[in-house]
Amino acid sequence: MSDLSRLGKRGAYRLGRLGAPAPAPARPPAPHYPSWVPGHRGPVLLWLLGSLAAAVLIALGAAAGWWFLPFVAGLAGGAAARYGRWRLRVALPAAALVAAVGWAIPLGWQALHGAPVRATARVVAALAGLPPHASVAIAATLIVAVLQALAGLWLTWALIPRR
Amino acid sequence: MTLEQRRSRIAWRVLRVAIPLVACAVLLGVLAFGYGTVPALGPALDPGRGVWTSASGAELPHSQALSLPGLDHPVQVSFTSHGVPSLRAASLHDLVLAEGYVQARFRLAQMDLERRLGEGRLAQLAGPSAVSSDKFELRLGLVRTAEQEWAQMPRSSATAQALLAFTKGVNDDLAQIRRDRQWPALFSLAGVYPGDWTPVDSLVIQGDLTQQLGFTTTPLDYALLERALGARRTMAWFPVLPPNQQHPYDPGPYRKAGLVPLQPGTSSSQSSATKTVRPAPSPSRSAVAVTAAGDSAARPAGSPAGRSARPAGVPAAEVTAASALLAEVNALPAGQVHTYPDSNAWAANGPAVAGGRSMLAGDPHLPQTIPSIWYQVALSAPGYQVSGVSVPGLPGVLLGHNQHIAWSLTDTQNQATLFYTERTSKSRPGQYFWDGAWRRMRQVHYTIAVRGGAAVRLTVDLTVHGPIMTQAGQTTSVDWMGNVPSPDLAVMLAVNTAHDWAQFHAALANWRAPSQNFVYADDQGHIGAISAGYYPEVRHGQPWLPMTGTGADDVAGVIPYSSVPQVYDPSGHVLATANQRPVGPSYPYYIGTTANFFDPGYRASQIYAALAGGRGMTPATFAGVQTSLTDPLARRILPALLGALHQPGARLTARQQQAASLLAGWNGAMTASSAAASVWWTFWTDYLTAVFRPWWHTAAVPVHRDPSGLKVSPDQASLDEVLETWTLRDPGNAAFTAPGGPRRTAPQVIRAAFATAVAHLSAKLGGTPSQWAWGRLHSRQFPSLTQADALGYGPRAAGGDPWTVDAADGGLVASQGPSWRMIVAWTGPGSGTGQGIYPGGQSENPASRWYEDQVADWWNGRYLPMPPPGSSAGVIRWTLRP
Repeated sequence: MSDLSRLGKRGAYRLGRLGAPAPAPARPPAPHYPSWVPGHRGPVLLWLLGSLAAAVLIALGAAAGWWFLPFVAGLAGGAAARYGRWRLRVALPAAALVAAVGWAIPLGWQALHGAPVRATARVVAALAGLPPHASVAIAATLIVAVLQALAGLWLTWALIPRR
Repeated sequence: MTLEQRRSRIAWRVLRVAIPLVACAVLLGVLAFGYGTVPALGPALDPGRGVWTSASGAELPHSQALSLPGLDHPVQVSFTSHGVPSLRAASLHDLVLAEGYVQARFRLAQMDLERRLGEGRLAQLAGPSAVSSDKFELRLGLVRTAEQEWAQMPRSSATAQALLAFTKGVNDDLAQIRRDRQWPALFSLAGVYPGDWTPVDSLVIQGDLTQQLGFTTTPLDYALLERALGARRTMAWFPVLPPNQQHPYDPGPYRKAGLVPLQPGTSSSQSSATKTVRPAPSPSRSAVAVTAAGDSAARPAGSPAGRSARPAGVPAAEVTAASALLAEVNALPAGQVHTYPDSNAWAANGPAVAGGRSMLAGDPHLPQTIPSIWYQVALSAPGYQVSGVSVPGLPGVLLGHNQHIAWSLTDTQNQATLFYTERTSKSRPGQYFWDGAWRRMRQVHYTIAVRGGAAVRLTVDLTVHGPIMTQAGQTTSVDWMGNVPSPDLAVMLAVNTAHDWAQFHAALANWRAPSQNFVYADDQGHIGAISAGYYPEVRHGQPWLPMTGTGADDVAGVIPYSSVPQVYDPSGHVLATANQRPVGPSYPYYIGTTANFFDPGYRASQIYAALAGGRGMTPATFAGVQTSLTDPLARRILPALLGALHQPGARLTARQQQAASLLAGWNGAMTASSAAASVWWTFWTDYLTAVFRPWWHTAAVPVHRDPSGLKVSPDQASLDEVLETWTLRDPGNAAFTAPGGPRRTAPQVIRAAFATAVAHLSAKLGGTPSQWAWGRLHSRQFPSLTQADALGYGPRAAGGDPWTVDAADGGLVASQGPSWRMIVAWTGPGSGTGQGIYPGGQSENPASRWYEDQVADWWNGRYLPMPPPGSSAGVIRWTLRP
């Protein structure tokens, strides 16, 4: 029978032996990071600057008539994301944002210089048989860019294996 | 891992790559090339090059110097705050070149649409929905006529030189756009871009206007009516001469001076020049017999005499052909062929006007589209000073004034379209029988490019009369005066530089189509009018019906210029044309019937009533008439209507009494706020229906074949005229009694129709008659030329109806009316003022401030000063340098 005075103390119910060996110390818990942080390579600022540069390139390409640059940016973004070990849930919205910003820049530039972009958007929507609101044509334009970027990203994501 | 698992894994890996690969290819393909009628959205929505570049075209121009290749000397351009340019050049060549450039700068899409329309190339831009229009136009042959005109035009002539300079100016603008890639949104969105301009394009646009004003399918409607109603009733209800009181501007006396041949080398002239007209071999029915049985007034002096080669009655095959062709025409975009008879122009001089010189007013009524059919401009070069409105795509000014004369136009609306039933045989394919022998049809082959669809091949057969328009039922060709090469441009350039009536009159001698009433006023105080153009006369047959094509009913010639309707310095010091029959019943030539060919004359009567006896009238007086909303028919009918309602024994409900009391205190003004106007219009519609619909129903008139030409409605000028006449002078006419029904008189039908009208209005607008404002029933809209609803203006509640001087045509949502209002007052030699306005704006770009900035002024009856030729007072100035 165990000593009542030992009740509640280490080894109190272990019959036959007293003073069982201490368990191995547990590994300290890993610090919690948001899910998109772990695994990527390179500083985040660099990635952000790269994205901005991509958006500017898309905008310049649009001015040159290279409407397909969002797709190319999507391809490049997919490859870079694989290399940088970014997760899809990060790469996807990033590529969409870069494409949308890339095509929004020329529109904003024209508007800043006094061109009636909103009125033109309304005209475009009306000519296309869509509801004649400026937001409809602007949204359609940005969607075309975003679709291209996502398609490009999807393609490289499928072609390049996970590292 | 089993073999099967391994295979499935490999397949999955392949699919994982293949699916995105295919999806990307499809996406990029669709974005790059489009699919069906879906445009290539990649380049179209590219924010740097696509539709968005049109935003810069919407910005107002700023003062600058521009380089314009082809100029010999600099040209100064000065824009008013509404974008009306004044061009000053050192030569006519430079002036016209600059005009071409400026027109294209602000109306390129309109110009391209118009040339595509006439050349049968609309489907290339608009897709499969436009194929039927292209087929129709290629059959009719505007482009063939334009090519013929250009081929016949000596290159050294002033007209050819003007066309070449104008073409150069348009192409200068196109070159700039190509360089800057700033296309109008319409092209960027469709991915179809306009090619270079050519002189033929300008001549095709001239043809568009001719078609709009002069091509009609009324003879086909007559065929359907006669088949259903019989010849006697058809000619009684759609007579040649108007039965009502009208006011021709040329009251006579008239002189019959025989006929002159058409211009050699045309389809019509080939027949008239080479044929020997022979009596028809088949049993025939003479025009005299028909009209005598129908209406004593139906056969005017000058009607075609003799026996027609046409068999009695309308054969079923003719009905089939007419139905097929009408269906094709009804599918065309609105306004492509002549539909509504509305334009006004008048002049006054001497004591009638302040200052004792002369004054002119003009308001052509055409489809009120945005952009407008007009582009306002002032042009100045040595020997050429003119201000007014031009037609985008054509050099010069069509309506306006120079330093000495002012002029405006209304459509004469004489019959200029003749249909022929060609005799063909299955044993002789590709041939037709004419002038005693079988002839081979000439064939022209076309390939119609279709955006988003396969190209369509079309073969057009040509006979001596003109193109075969349908082979359904029978082979039907059309002999249309618009297919006769007409030096309209040369005439207009000569009119632009005329200094007096003699020069004006001489210039118009060569005008052929569309026949127009040219109204004139000069700085010496003279006024005049002449209905220039071709009036085809057939030796036999009834030209208001399809005629036999074997030769007997061919065109024998046209009325000599000296005998066409005209007047100079009338004794009453006032003259007015509003598409009414320009001459009285004793005019010795056939020029058309009451059905579509002429207006019922209400507007003309109203104008004469407003101006008659006027002394010291001013531009404000004319403006008041131009914007008048008085319905003359209402004023004529109201006494009979109220008399019928108040006859002893007539019982009216309380609501009917309220409606009647509205009419009793009404002055006939169709204002938007007038409840009486609603009562009147609904009554007249129901009155027409009550009288004629039973006959239509019994005779099974095929209204669905051509609702605009056959439906019982106020749009049928003939029915309005005869019903007015019967109501006022023949209330016991047998037509009031429905077939098989009890005998009725006009008052009985009036009371029934009034009750129906009140019931209709109660159901639609509620039970309080005082709240039945006309504007709740009636509106105007100015549709976009692109047919995009959101780019048009309206519908907006509006006053007016087809018979008010300020006309509103096209039904309860009117889309046709005064497309330009102009008043020119001469105060001394070389001294005068002009004012004008049109519902729209100078720019075709909907994002521009000049897109519809004149609508408000037009709507409120205000005018803008027309810049005098050579003006440099504008707020924006360009210098165009070689």
